[in-house]
Amino acid sequence: MQPVSLFDLAAQQARWLSVRQSAVAGNIANMNTPGYEAVDVVPFERVLERSKLQLSPTRVGHMPIGAAREGFNIRADEIETTSPSGNSVTIEQELAKSGEIRHAFELNTAIVKAFHRMVMMTTRS
Amino acid sequence: MAIDPLSVALQVASSGLGVQSERLRVVSENLANAQSTGATPGSDPYQRKTVTFTSALDRDNGGAFVRVQSVDVDRSEFPIEYLPNHQAANEDGFVKMPNVNPIIEMADMSEANRSYEANLQVIKQARQLISMTIDLLRAT
Repeated sequence: MQPVSLFDLAAQQARWLSVRQSAVAGNIANMNTPGYEAVDVVPFERVLERSKLQLSPTRVGHMPIGAAREGFNIRADEIETTSPSGNSVTIEQELAKSGEIRHAFELNTAIVKAFHRMVMMTTRS
Repeated sequence: MAIDPLSVALQVASSGLGVQSERLRVVSENLANAQSTGATPGSDPYQRKTVTFTSALDRDNGGAFVRVQSVDVDRSEFPIEYLPNHQAANEDGFVKMPNVNPIIEMADMSEANRSYEANLQVIKQARQLISMTIDLLRAT
Protein backbone atom coordinates (compact mmCIF):
# COMPACT_ATOMS: atom_id res chain seq x y z
CA MET A 1 0.00 0.00 0.00
CA GLN A 2 1.25 3.45 -0.85
CA PRO A 3 1.52 5.98 1.91
CA VAL A 4 -1.25 8.55 1.71
CA SER A 5 0.15 12.06 1.61
CA LEU A 6 -3.14 13.88 1.79
CA PHE A 7 -2.69 15.02 5.37
CA ASP A 8 0.76 16.33 4.53
CA LEU A 9 -0.56 18.17 1.50
CA ALA A 10 -3.44 19.65 3.49
CA ALA A 11 -1.08 20.79 6.24
CA GLN A 12 1.17 22.40 3.66
CA GLN A 13 -1.75 24.27 2.11
CA ALA A 14 -3.01 25.38 5.52
CA ARG A 15 0.46 26.79 6.25
CA TRP A 16 0.52 28.54 2.89
CA LEU A 17 -2.91 30.06 3.58
CA SER A 18 -1.74 31.27 6.99
CA VAL A 19 1.28 32.96 5.43
CA ARG A 20 -0.99 34.58 2.87
CA GLN A 21 -3.32 35.79 5.59
CA SER A 22 -0.42 37.43 7.39
CA ALA A 23 0.63 39.10 4.11
CA VAL A 24 -2.91 40.48 3.72
CA ALA A 25 -2.81 41.67 7.34
CA GLY A 26 0.43 43.54 6.60
CA ASN A 27 -1.10 45.15 3.52
CA ILE A 28 -4.22 46.27 5.35
CA ALA A 29 -2.27 47.57 8.35
CA ASN A 30 -0.13 49.62 5.96
CA MET A 31 -2.96 50.93 3.80
CA ASN A 32 -2.16 54.51 4.90
CA THR A 33 1.63 54.23 4.91
CA PRO A 34 3.24 56.42 2.24
CA GLY A 35 5.40 54.49 -0.24
CA TYR A 36 4.30 51.05 0.94
CA GLU A 37 4.09 48.38 -1.78
CA ALA A 38 1.43 45.68 -1.49
CA VAL A 39 2.78 42.13 -1.25
CA ASP A 40 1.41 38.66 -1.92
CA VAL A 41 2.62 35.07 -1.53
CA VAL A 42 3.81 33.05 -4.51
CA PRO A 43 0.84 30.91 -5.71
CA PHE A 44 0.44 27.48 -4.14
CA GLU A 45 0.70 25.68 -7.51
CA ARG A 46 4.19 27.11 -7.85
CA VAL A 47 5.09 25.83 -4.38
CA LEU A 48 3.93 22.34 -5.34
CA GLU A 49 5.89 22.31 -8.59
CA ARG A 50 8.99 23.22 -6.70
CA SER A 51 8.55 20.63 -3.98
CA LYS A 52 8.29 17.66 -6.38
CA LEU A 53 11.98 16.96 -6.33
CA GLN A 54 12.97 16.28 -2.80
CA LEU A 55 15.67 13.82 -1.92
CA SER A 56 15.39 12.42 1.54
CA PRO A 57 18.57 11.85 3.57
CA THR A 58 19.17 8.14 4.08
CA ARG A 59 22.58 8.30 5.73
CA VAL A 60 24.08 10.40 8.48
CA GLY A 61 26.29 12.43 6.16
CA HIS A 62 23.54 13.30 3.67
CA MET A 63 22.16 16.77 3.26
CA PRO A 64 18.50 17.11 2.32
CA ILE A 65 18.28 18.48 -1.24
CA GLY A 66 15.19 20.00 -2.77
CA ALA A 67 12.62 22.58 -1.92
CA ALA A 68 12.63 23.97 1.55
CA ARG A 69 9.21 22.97 2.85
CA GLU A 70 8.70 25.91 5.11
CA GLY A 71 9.62 28.90 2.98
CA PHE A 72 6.78 30.50 1.08
CA ASN A 73 8.20 33.38 -0.86
CA ILE A 74 6.60 36.78 -0.62
CA ARG A 75 6.78 39.07 -3.61
CA ALA A 76 5.38 42.44 -4.60
CA ASP A 77 1.80 42.28 -5.82
CA GLU A 78 1.13 43.21 -9.45
CA ILE A 79 -0.97 46.30 -8.98
CA GLU A 80 -0.73 49.21 -11.37
CA THR A 81 -2.83 51.65 -9.41
CA THR A 82 -0.79 53.66 -6.99
CA SER A 83 -2.17 56.47 -4.89
CA PRO A 84 -0.44 59.89 -4.87
CA SER A 85 1.38 58.88 -1.67
CA GLY A 86 3.06 55.95 -3.47
CA ASN A 87 0.94 53.33 -1.69
CA SER A 88 -0.32 50.46 -3.85
CA VAL A 89 -2.79 48.82 -1.44
CA THR A 90 -6.39 48.64 -2.64
CA ILE A 91 -8.60 47.63 0.22
CA GLU A 92 -11.26 45.98 -1.93
CA GLN A 93 -8.68 43.68 -3.42
CA GLU A 94 -7.28 42.81 0.00
CA LEU A 95 -10.74 42.00 1.35
CA ALA A 96 -11.43 39.85 -1.71
CA LYS A 97 -8.17 38.02 -1.09
CA SER A 98 -9.06 37.42 2.52
CA GLY A 99 -12.43 36.00 1.43
CA GLU A 100 -10.59 33.65 -0.91
CA ILE A 101 -8.32 32.56 1.94
CA ARG A 102 -11.33 31.87 4.13
CA HIS A 103 -13.03 29.72 1.54
CA ALA A 104 -9.88 27.75 0.79
CA PHE A 105 -9.26 27.22 4.49
CA GLU A 106 -12.83 26.05 5.03
CA LEU A 107 -12.50 23.59 2.16
CA ASN A 108 -9.16 22.42 3.49
CA THR A 109 -10.39 21.72 7.01
CA ALA A 110 -13.56 20.06 5.68
CA ILE A 111 -11.51 17.69 3.54
CA VAL A 112 -9.18 16.86 6.41
CA LYS A 113 -12.20 16.18 8.61
CA ALA A 114 -13.81 13.90 6.03
CA PHE A 115 -10.58 12.05 5.43
CA HIS A 116 -10.01 11.65 9.12
CA ARG A 117 -13.48 10.20 9.45
CA MET A 118 -12.68 7.67 6.73
CA VAL A 119 -9.46 6.65 8.45
CA MET A 120 -11.30 6.23 11.73
CA MET A 121 -13.99 4.17 10.03
CA THR A 122 -11.34 1.81 8.71
CA THR A 123 -9.59 1.43 12.04
CA ARG A 124 -12.77 0.95 14.04
CA SER A 125 -14.43 -1.68 11.90
CA MET B 1 8.41 28.21 10.46
CA ALA B 2 8.87 28.64 14.12
CA ILE B 3 6.25 31.35 14.43
CA ASP B 4 2.66 30.78 13.49
CA PRO B 5 1.81 33.14 10.59
CA LEU B 6 -1.73 33.53 11.86
CA SER B 7 -0.53 34.96 15.15
CA VAL B 8 1.75 37.26 13.16
CA ALA B 9 -1.36 38.35 11.23
CA LEU B 10 -3.10 39.11 14.51
CA GLN B 11 -0.14 41.15 15.74
CA VAL B 12 0.18 43.08 12.47
CA ALA B 13 -3.54 43.89 12.43
CA SER B 14 -3.40 45.08 16.02
CA SER B 15 -0.47 47.35 15.14
CA GLY B 16 -2.78 48.74 12.43
CA LEU B 17 -5.49 49.33 15.03
CA GLY B 18 -2.94 51.11 17.22
CA VAL B 19 -1.81 53.61 14.59
CA GLN B 20 -5.35 54.34 13.44
CA SER B 21 -6.42 55.15 16.99
CA GLU B 22 -3.36 57.38 17.33
CA ARG B 23 -4.50 59.13 14.17
CA LEU B 24 -7.99 59.55 15.59
CA ARG B 25 -6.46 61.09 18.70
CA VAL B 26 -4.62 63.67 16.60
CA VAL B 27 -7.84 64.44 14.68
CA SER B 28 -9.71 64.97 17.93
CA GLU B 29 -6.94 67.28 19.21
CA ASN B 30 -7.21 69.33 16.03
CA LEU B 31 -11.00 69.55 16.17
CA ALA B 32 -11.05 70.40 19.88
CA ASN B 33 -8.56 73.20 19.32
CA ALA B 34 -10.19 74.55 16.15
CA GLN B 35 -10.86 77.86 17.95
CA SER B 36 -7.86 78.03 20.30
CA THR B 37 -6.20 81.38 19.71
CA GLY B 38 -3.13 82.79 21.46
CA ALA B 39 -3.34 84.59 24.81
CA THR B 40 -1.22 87.67 24.15
CA PRO B 41 -1.61 90.31 21.39
CA GLY B 42 -0.23 89.09 18.06
CA SER B 43 0.67 85.61 19.36
CA ASP B 44 0.32 82.42 17.33
CA PRO B 45 -2.78 80.23 17.78
CA TYR B 46 -2.95 76.42 17.92
CA GLN B 47 -1.12 74.83 15.00
CA ARG B 48 -2.76 71.86 13.28
CA LYS B 49 -1.03 68.53 13.90
CA THR B 50 -0.43 65.87 11.24
CA VAL B 51 0.51 62.24 11.69
CA THR B 52 2.61 60.09 9.33
CA PHE B 53 2.99 56.31 9.30
CA THR B 54 5.88 54.09 8.38
CA SER B 55 6.16 50.39 7.69
CA ALA B 56 8.57 48.38 9.85
CA LEU B 57 9.49 44.85 8.82
CA ASP B 58 10.00 42.51 11.73
CA ARG B 59 13.05 40.36 10.87
CA ASP B 60 12.08 37.61 13.30
CA ASN B 61 8.65 36.79 11.91
CA GLY B 62 8.51 38.67 8.58
CA GLY B 63 5.45 40.71 9.47
CA ALA B 64 5.05 44.18 7.92
CA PHE B 65 4.15 46.10 11.05
CA VAL B 66 3.04 49.72 10.92
CA ARG B 67 4.21 52.45 13.25
CA VAL B 68 3.62 56.15 13.74
CA GLN B 69 6.65 57.84 12.21
CA SER B 70 6.08 61.32 13.57
CA VAL B 71 3.42 63.71 14.74
CA ASP B 72 4.34 66.94 13.00
CA VAL B 73 2.69 70.34 12.69
CA ASP B 74 0.96 71.78 9.64
CA ARG B 75 3.02 74.82 8.60
CA SER B 76 0.33 76.47 6.47
CA GLU B 77 -0.74 80.10 6.97
CA PHE B 78 -3.07 81.04 9.80
CA PRO B 79 -6.35 82.60 8.66
CA ILE B 80 -6.91 86.10 10.04
CA GLU B 81 -10.12 87.45 11.51
CA TYR B 82 -11.02 90.99 12.47
CA LEU B 83 -11.88 90.89 16.19
CA PRO B 84 -10.65 94.16 17.75
CA ASN B 85 -11.74 93.30 21.30
CA HIS B 86 -10.06 89.91 21.39
CA GLN B 87 -7.16 89.40 23.79
CA ALA B 88 -4.94 88.10 20.97
CA ALA B 89 -5.74 90.98 18.56
CA ASN B 90 -2.76 92.90 17.22
CA GLU B 91 -2.69 96.72 17.04
CA ASP B 92 -4.85 96.69 13.85
CA GLY B 93 -7.48 94.45 15.50
CA PHE B 94 -6.68 91.23 13.64
CA VAL B 95 -6.52 87.82 15.35
CA LYS B 96 -4.71 84.77 13.96
CA MET B 97 -7.01 81.76 14.02
CA PRO B 98 -5.83 78.12 14.03
CA ASN B 99 -5.15 76.56 10.61
CA VAL B 100 -7.64 73.75 11.26
CA ASN B 101 -10.19 72.99 8.57
CA PRO B 102 -13.03 70.94 10.13
CA ILE B 103 -13.95 69.39 6.77
CA ILE B 104 -10.45 68.02 6.26
CA GLU B 105 -10.48 66.68 9.81
CA MET B 106 -13.82 64.96 9.17
CA ALA B 107 -12.46 63.35 6.00
CA ASP B 108 -9.40 62.21 7.92
CA MET B 109 -11.64 60.82 10.63
CA SER B 110 -13.74 58.74 8.26
CA GLU B 111 -10.61 57.40 6.59
CA ALA B 112 -9.23 56.38 9.98
CA ASN B 113 -12.56 54.74 10.71
CA ARG B 114 -12.46 52.76 7.47
CA SER B 115 -8.91 51.59 8.06
CA TYR B 116 -9.76 50.59 11.63
CA GLU B 117 -12.70 48.52 10.38
CA ALA B 118 -10.53 46.78 7.79
CA ASN B 119 -8.00 45.83 10.47
CA LEU B 120 -10.77 44.54 12.73
CA GLN B 121 -11.99 42.41 9.85
CA VAL B 122 -8.53 40.87 9.50
CA ILE B 123 -8.44 40.03 13.21
CA LYS B 124 -11.89 38.46 12.98
CA GLN B 125 -10.87 36.33 10.03
CA ALA B 126 -7.57 35.20 11.57
CA ARG B 127 -9.48 34.08 14.65
CA GLN B 128 -11.94 32.18 12.50
CA LEU B 129 -9.12 30.40 10.69
CA ILE B 130 -7.56 29.45 14.02
CA SER B 131 -10.82 28.10 15.39
CA MET B 132 -11.45 26.16 12.14
CA THR B 133 -8.13 24.44 12.74
CA ILE B 134 -8.95 23.73 16.37
CA ASP B 135 -12.28 22.29 15.25
CA LEU B 136 -10.36 19.51 13.54
CA LEU B 137 -9.52 18.17 16.98
CA ARG B 138 -13.14 17.88 18.02
CA ALA B 139 -14.76 14.49 17.88
CA THR B 140 -16.50 13.93 14.57
